This record gives sequence, structure tokens and C-alpha cells, in this order.
Amino acid sequence: MVLLDVKNVSKRYKDTKALSNVNFSVKEGEFISIIGPSGAGKSTLLRCINRMIDANDGEIIFDGIDVLKLNKRDLRRLRTKIGMIFQHYNLVYRLSVIENVLHGRLGYKSKIDGIIGRYSEEEKEQALKILEDLGLGQQIYKRCDELSGGQKQRVGIARSLIQNPKMILCDEPIASLDPSSSKVIMDQLKDISVEKGITCLVNLHQVEVAIKYSDRIIGVNSGQVVFDGPSRELSSDTIYAIYGTEAGNLIVD
Amino acid sequence: MEGSIVSTVKYRKTNKGKIKIRTVTTSSVVIKTTLSILLFLTVYGLVTLDTKDVNLIEAVKDFAINLRTMFFQSSLSNFTFFQSLYQILVTLGLAFLTTLIGGFIALFLGLLAAENLSSKRVSTVIKGFVAFIRAVPTVLWVLVFAIAAGLGSVAAVIGMTFHTVGYLIKAYSESFEEIDKGCIEALKASGASWWQIVFQAILPSAATYLLSWTFLRFEVNFTNAVAMGAAAGAGGIGFELFMASGFYFNVREVGFITYLILFTAIILEVFSTRLKNKFLLGS
Ligand SMILES: Nc1ncnc2c1ncn2[C@@H]1O[C@H](COP(=O)(O)OP(=O)(O)OP(=O)(O)O)[C@@H](O)[C@H]1O
Ligand SMILES: [Mg+2]
Repeated sequence: MVLLDVKNVSKRYKDTKALSNVNFSVKEGEFISIIGPSGAGKSTLLRCINRMIDANDGEIIFDGIDVLKLNKRDLRRLRTKIGMIFQHYNLVYRLSVIENVLHGRLGYKSKIDGIIGRYSEEEKEQALKILEDLGLGQQIYKRCDELSGGQKQRVGIARSLIQNPKMILCDEPIASLDPSSSKVIMDQLKDISVEKGITCLVNLHQVEVAIKYSDRIIGVNSGQVVFDGPSRELSSDTIYAIYGTEAGNLIVD
Repeated sequence: MEGSIVSTVKYRKTNKGKIKIRTVTTSSVVIKTTLSILLFLTVYGLVTLDTKDVNLIEAVKDFAINLRTMFFQSSLSNFTFFQSLYQILVTLGLAFLTTLIGGFIALFLGLLAAENLSSKRVSTVIKGFVAFIRAVPTVLWVLVFAIAAGLGSVAAVIGMTFHTVGYLIKAYSESFEEIDKGCIEALKASGASWWQIVFQAILPSAATYLLSWTFLRFEVNFTNAVAMGAAAGAGGIGFELFMASGFYFNVREVGFITYLILFTAIILEVFSTRLKNKFLLGS
């Protein structure tokens, strides 16, 4: 079943075309990596999907809803169904781990409950369960600035999981991590997608990682999709096409 | 002069032939010019000062004697120690009230004035307006409001609050703008509303800044409250100070009151430092 349909989406900044006529669709439960050189438009593409950035043209259908036509309130409701994970974790560092995780529930809450941070016992139990599963059971009351990078990213994952999302968008989730924490994070993302059937759309800079973990790879260059297919079909020629010759040499060798 | 040791690095030399490490910028020229003009004005003012028939040496001697009486023989005569403590409380109350009201208003307007939380246009309008409020000194605002409210505590509260709001909006909104925009983005992406983001991300992250700015302003307001007691008849210790010096010419009492104010200021400082440390180190 198709969960996300991106049709002819374009995004312009004053003089740069960040995205031009992007087309692809995503099936439920798929694990997809988006690769491409710096400035290709990967982050822009991801943020257009949950409308953190407004696309100029085209159509984005998520779970049967026309995303670009939503009003403010419905947009908030849509965003609860889409988790997001960031390169720099984007936690509130002065708050505890569990408070940060519970932030994922804000979109479901009434204004006042969210403001004073009143969460139900079920929500708290769910948060504990997720943290336990992600191996953070010992850190729940730690302030987030006391965590390592890998642990911070796991808090980020927990925060998106507690949303009960249908899809998770990850913008370079491992770009600030060492190889072993990167592996932990990617394994956990893969588990999430396999066990819970949550669709993952991951921006990556590491081609090997993309090939290893994803069902499908989308290659972007200068705002255009230049490759879209199963990861095993990604040949060195297409890598050259995505990254340009110079960088291609480095990656393929 | 230009020279080069390595062929690619171009450097300049001073008049003495040394390698130059500082270049002349507009700001350094402006600073130097301003300083020399100020120096000239100071010297000119001193030289052309009209001292009438006051003998400078006599005057300095008298001044020293007065100072000695003031600070080494301080005492109270027109009211008791407890009355003076009460007056200090009144002044503290004035400072507290104006900081509290001002801080509350500034918190909301500060959110609107922060560019990352509101629109560029709203932010610019508020910031411009606030710059105007701050440009006028507190005393003048008190006097402006005295036209409507009459000289006294009401005018002082309104006027001081007004200036406090102006000051704190700037301080608060800049603290908000310093906040890592990532956590705002993250909460927005999960569907949180503006107010939820403010209370769950902005305020926790900015808490220490808000606290220290508010305390700083409280200290300023305490000093202001002393001055307003004298200048605007707002009551409190400032008014007693004014009466002792300008009305009774009682230097001993002036000395005593000065000690009292100094002591209070020190206590406030110690208290605020403790509070800040507690919050900065985290609970
Ligand atoms: N706010 C903005 N204003 C103007 N131009 C922007 C803005 N954001 C992105 N761009 C431009 O859009 C293009 C795509 O940027 P984007 O951040 O999506 O790239 P990316 O593929 O995520 O790169 P990276 O791998 O370095 O993160 C770039 O040319 C960038 O300069
Ligand atoms: Mg990016």
C-alpha cells in the first residue's frame, strides 16, 4: 500500500532551485535511504514532506491526505503521524531524558496540558518501555546534556517513537556519531521498521550504510532525483551519476 | 609598506619597520576621536570652572570633615532604627513590585520580539518601540507619568515598570534568540503548538538567562527606587535620605542611611549569586 506519494514537487529559494520536479512514492514499511552530495536538496526534500518547509509546486499525499492543502490545525495533527530525527539530536538539554521523550506526545495534547507538561500514566509507561527497549533504562532522569552523542540520538528516536508514527524522517541521523554508535543507531532504526512496520526515510552521507540497511535508495543531485531503485541495483556508474566523477572515485574505490 | 617573507603571505609594516598586526578600522578611529574629545572637554571644564570665592583648599578640608562625620559618626536622630528598616522594606517593595510586573509583561512581549519565535516584522516593531522606551531615563518616565498620576508612589511604580519592561524585553528576547533552533524545530515537527514549544523548550532552555537578567534589573530597580523616593516623593528610604540631607542637613543621618542601603545591596547581591549558582549547576 502506498503511504507517501510525492508528485512534481519543486522548491525555489531566491536564486537556487533546491528541488525541481521530484517524483517518488513510498510503500508502507519500506526503509528508504536518500543519498546525494552536499547541497543536493536532501534536507529540503525531507522537510517538505512534513511541511517544515513549504514546497512551491506539486502535490504530496501522505496516508491519503493532501499535505500541502492542510490548515494549521490539521497540519499539527498530520505531524503527530510523522516522526523526525535530526543530525544534532535537537533535544532540550536542560530537561531530563524522559521529559524529552514525552515531548513527542505534545502534538496529541490539549494546549494547556502540553504547556504545563502534564502527561498521563500510560504515556509515561510507554516512554519507559521505549527507553528500556533502546537501552536507556538507566538514564531516564539524567539531564540530556550529560549523555553521549549516541545516547542523545537514541533519546531522539524514542521521542519520535512515542508519537506512534506511521513514518519516521531521519536527517543524517549518524553524521555526528562514531562508527560503533552509528551501527547501534542504524540497527535500531532497521528494527523499528521491520518489527513495527514503521516506514523510514533516511538522509545519509555514507553510501555503504545506505546499501547495507535500505530496501531502496533514492539518489538526488542538484534538486533532481537521478536514481530510484532497490539498493542492489546501485552500480558504480549510478554512484558517479549521483555524486559526480570526482567524489565517485573516492566512494567506489 | 608591504613586504613578504613567504611569497604568498602579504603583510604590512609599521612606520618603524616592524610587522604590523593591527589595521586601522573605522571603529578604532571613532573610539580614539571620542576619547580625545571627552578628554578635551574635561580639561576645558575644569580650567574654566567658576568657583566664585570658595577657597579650594578650605573647601576640600570641609568636605573631608563632613565625610568623616558622615561615615564615622553616623547616627539616627529623626527616626528609630526600626523605622529605617521599615523604610528599606518599602523601597525593596517598590523595586520588587516594578520588577515583577515589568518582568511579567516583558516575558510575553519578549516572546513576540524574538525573531525566531515571531515574525520579522512584529519583532522589528516591538524592538524599535522598546529602544525608544529605553532611551528615555527612568526618572523622566516617572515624571511623565506624574503628570497624570501626580508625584508619588503611583507615578514611580508606573514609570519604573515602564522602563523595566523596555529593558527586560530586550534582554529576554535576545536570550530567546540565543536558543538552539534545533529543539524548536524538533517539537514543531512532532506537532507541538506555539505555546507548548514556548513552555516545554524555550523557557526551560532560557531559564538561567531570564533569572540573571531579572535579578540584575531588580538590583537596578532597588537603586532606582532609592532615587525615586527622593526625586519623585515615592517614599521609602530614598525619601528619608532626601529629608536628612536636603531638609535637616543632618550628615550623620545621611551616613547611617547610606550604610543601610549599601548593606541591603550587598545582601541582595549575595542572595542573587547563590540563586544563580543553584540554578546554573542544576538541581
Ligand atoms: N533557507 C534557505 N535559504 C536559501 N537557500 C537555501 C536554504 N536552505 C537550503 N538552501 C539551498 O538549497 C539547496 C539544498 O539544500 P539542502 O540543505 O536541502 O541540501 P542537503 O542535500 O541537505 O545538503 P547536506 O548534505 O549538506 O545537508 C542548497 O543549495 C542550499 O544552499
Ligand atoms: Mg542536509
